[in-house]
Amino acid sequence: MRQLAILLPALVLAGCGTGEAPPRPLTQEQSAALRPADARLAGLYDNSCRACHTVKDSLAPLTGDRTLWDPRWTQGEAALLSAVLQGKKAMPAGGQCFTCTADDYRALIRFMAGRDS
Amino acid sequence: MSTRRKVMLGGAGLLALGGAGLAGRRAWLDREPDLPAATDARGRLLWSNWAGTESAYPAARAAPADEAELAALLPRAAAPIRPVGAGHSFTALVPTDGTMLALDRMSGLVSADRANATATVRAGTRLSALGPALAAVGQEMPNLPDINKQTLAGALATGTHGTGKDYTALHGAVTAMRLVAPDGGVRECSRDADAELFHAARVGLGAFGVLSQVTLQNQPLTRVRKVVRLIDTEELLASWPALAANHRNAEFLVLPFTGKSALITHDVTFDPVSPRGPDQDADTLMSLKRLRDLFEFTPGLRKSLASRLLADVPPEIAIDEGWKLLSNERPVRFKEMEYHLPIERQVEALREVIRRIESRATDVFFPIEARIIAPDDAWLSPFYQRASGSIAVHAWYKDEHDWMFRLIEPVLREAGGRPHWGKLHSLGAADLAALYPMWREAQAVRRSVDPQGRMLNPYLQRLLGA
Repeated sequence: MRQLAILLPALVLAGCGTGEAPPRPLTQEQSAALRPADARLAGLYDNSCRACHTVKDSLAPLTGDRTLWDPRWTQGEAALLSAVLQGKKAMPAGGQCFTCTADDYRALIRFMAGRDS
Repeated sequence: MSTRRKVMLGGAGLLALGGAGLAGRRAWLDREPDLPAATDARGRLLWSNWAGTESAYPAARAAPADEAELAALLPRAAAPIRPVGAGHSFTALVPTDGTMLALDRMSGLVSADRANATATVRAGTRLSALGPALAAVGQEMPNLPDINKQTLAGALATGTHGTGKDYTALHGAVTAMRLVAPDGGVRECSRDADAELFHAARVGLGAFGVLSQVTLQNQPLTRVRKVVRLIDTEELLASWPALAANHRNAEFLVLPFTGKSALITHDVTFDPVSPRGPDQDADTLMSLKRLRDLFEFTPGLRKSLASRLLADVPPEIAIDEGWKLLSNERPVRFKEMEYHLPIERQVEALREVIRRIESRATDVFFPIEARIIAPDDAWLSPFYQRASGSIAVHAWYKDEHDWMFRLIEPVLREAGGRPHWGKLHSLGAADLAALYPMWREAQAVRRSVDPQGRMLNPYLQRLLGA
């Protein structure tokens, strides 16, 4: 109870601080409807990331679904970039984008994590 | 304290120690494999295949936007020039320290002929994108492989296949193709034009040049009923020839150390659509892993428990267009060896494969896959002029796979098998020449289009004897 009393104001303050609505899960269809605004990046995304990151059965976090991405985002962009470059668990190295540069990967991670804006 | 009590306490302590030891061993074995560095000393980015068995740091990465750009690029690109599809091959077809060439920007339909159900497709199109694109023009590929992430060019180059008594591998549906040779020349080939190149390069390992587009003989869009059901493995093996003959597409997955197999069939239907549910294969696979983890050293107990757990599992049924059902998501990475045997040798060889795994490779938990493929006439097709029964064994990406070479490959070779070009095997040019009646002719064509061997990496040099 005492812990709750300490935590509660902190949570309220955190909510006030960000001003963001809590993230909500996306459906496959909502995820599949998202594309990077930049045409070249969209081409890279369509040919690689999209095949898994819009399909729940692939177990990859759905593009734009911040309920899945936010916990990963806390690892930091550098850690996420390393996971893409070297592969991790179900994710093959390079994320199947064989023409992506490191900057392309960074931009694609930001887009999929719902951090574009 | 009585002696009996001391013995009991000591026994419990030993059991606890043993249990902790086994858990520690499993935790050690389940660690992520060592990963190659993300960049090399010169700052070149890592490339690795899907399974993580092959890697490279190419000096250059090219992604031409169209055939003209591809033709301009090939004569001046740094060798070895290696085309990459989706990186789903387990063998070292792709690694290069020269130029890695992706066809990702050359994808999509070029044209479709509704009356004849043919379509011309850019070679970099992923099979997962080709399904809906063809469906939009009322067509479908006659058959599809288990995974659909591959590019069309990569799937054709490696003899990628599905299953079905009357169905060839994907390259069996190719009626014409445009290939850009290493000198930049564009060759349009079919049975009627440049026929030798057509026969040699249809399953071409990316060694004859780079495909830019392919014309496929498709079929009108059909609806199929997919049924997945568990059967006793002995019963399935006994009835396999009849099952294979009675279904449009039939395959099965032997679940080792369980006595059970999953039979998967697809048949044409006009029943209403009943879409596939969420994937259950990954969960089943991880359950088999947990059984392995706990009972690896007591296979009898493992089988007994598994057969009880798998009893009375209801069949999974889905009805939809074929392109939505024939391929599957495979989120659990693995390593694979597959050979294509004369069809009459399949069951006998499979029995021996199961026996060897269950007696001498108790850490295996991945299924053993059996499929059938109709013959074709591509010179380097593993199905060249013979109906084939394939056998594939798998290992989790974190597990050792040397048992495949030690225990399984000798059985598959003895049965006259030809290896899948994209899956693990140990064969070299001399072995392959004996398995392929048109080997010499195919190599002569390859030398004529690439006399300097600019498309060959060290692996292909060994494979092709170049």
